[in-house]
Amino acid sequence: MAFVSSGYNPDKPMENRISDIGPRDFNEFLPPVLKNNFGQWKYHDILEPGVLLHVAESGDEVYTVRCGTARLMSITLIREMCDIADAHCDGYLRFTTRNNVEFMVDSKDKCDALKKDLQSRKFDGGSFKFPVGGTGAGVSNIVHTQGWVHCHTPATDASGTVKVIMDDLFEEFTNHNMPAPVRIAVACCLNMCGACHCSDIAVVGIHRKPPLIDHEYLDNVCEIPLAIASCPTGAVRPSKVEIDGKQYKSVAIKEERCMFCGNCYTMCPSLPLSDKEGDGIALMVGGKVSNRISMPKFSKVVVAFIPNEPPRWPTLVKTIRTILDVYKADANKYERLGDWAERIGWERFFEKTGIEFTPHLIDDFRDPAYYTWRQSTQFKF
Amino acid sequence: MANVEFMGKSFEVDEDGFLLKFEEWTPEWVDYCKDGEGIKELNEEHQKVLDFLQDYYKKNGIAPMVRILSKVTGFKLKHIYELFPSGPGKGACKMAGLPKPTGCV
Repeated sequence: MAFVSSGYNPDKPMENRISDIGPRDFNEFLPPVLKNNFGQWKYHDILEPGVLLHVAESGDEVYTVRCGTARLMSITLIREMCDIADAHCDGYLRFTTRNNVEFMVDSKDKCDALKKDLQSRKFDGGSFKFPVGGTGAGVSNIVHTQGWVHCHTPATDASGTVKVIMDDLFEEFTNHNMPAPVRIAVACCLNMCGACHCSDIAVVGIHRKPPLIDHEYLDNVCEIPLAIASCPTGAVRPSKVEIDGKQYKSVAIKEERCMFCGNCYTMCPSLPLSDKEGDGIALMVGGKVSNRISMPKFSKVVVAFIPNEPPRWPTLVKTIRTILDVYKADANKYERLGDWAERIGWERFFEKTGIEFTPHLIDDFRDPAYYTWRQSTQFKF
Repeated sequence: MANVEFMGKSFEVDEDGFLLKFEEWTPEWVDYCKDGEGIKELNEEHQKVLDFLQDYYKKNGIAPMVRILSKVTGFKLKHIYELFPSGPGKGACKMAGLPKPTGCV
């Protein structure tokens, strides 16, 4: 397409430049019924999976219909959401912190019509465009990252793994069958963008091989001290390398100290480490952020490695399903996955789920590792 | 990677316009960059920032933290942005011939 100017003048880049205006004020986009009852809500109720009712002191009612989205979406789909909002909700909608979309109306009749419309919409391939659900004690949307779509450090894909997990758990999205809400998160490398370290179930991409070193270019494109300081185990050190009679400043990596985190590649483009067979997924469980009953928890690694199996990742999906089925059958009401595992003991968690306990799961990172070992005779055979 | 020809000099650059080799830096590189960085005329203050970045890089092997750049040159971050509209990383480091900033930027 030919170039079309927005009015920006590249010869005078600072002319008519607007900056530091921040986001729009959220009040500009509040539906009138929310604006009128702001801070005056009396109670709420979950009418059915995906449908909430909030009642205000004034007696006003708001019905919210929550729908799953893929998070990564086209403008075409956003326009379709706008059409739905125009048709049913006077043009208002919102997105949740788990990237679901919520449509709000002020009466039961409108809510029923809206829900019917949403559930009738499908993609050509057959998937629901706006599946209603994600409330209460079920499995809501998966917080996830960029994966092979856009990032340069991933060890697995995000959109792909999320789609196959949600396909398998679709029934849990549209129902309230769990003892407590189950939060699932996906991060495609150990950077853990998102919520992996604090989710009931977390999928994290990991490497299993040390970086390759591109000696010839390393000193040109990298700041060597940064690459050295980026290593959590001190495996990277500066070195001089001779190639074809020429001396290059570079780094050396002690392979037996490297745990393949990839931090040095983040800082230095000459240390790539992704590998088709080596890369895969570690599964973590038991994290939470809420303060309800127990304190917030970190998730713990329970499966050290699951291979990447695009496009459907069958082993990953099966493992998550197994954990959720056992949790659903065994946990008490209101018990989050981490609360349940800590109550029955982790040895029982592994026994009940049938997951193999491997030496990889024993913490060996610095002094705090000691506190994760068992300094007690209290355990079950 | 692309090669840039400017005033009889040739520079090897990456897709973001950073020099691939610090040793290839010459004063012509700064002249070549300044239009793309929205700088009309280089003054002493620009030069002071560029000189400090190069000295620091030669001595320490890394680009200085923004706080160190401010402290040594005496320019507040706001003033550095006035000198280099794209900022200390994309603007000043690029013109000084330093490697492209890395990490979660």
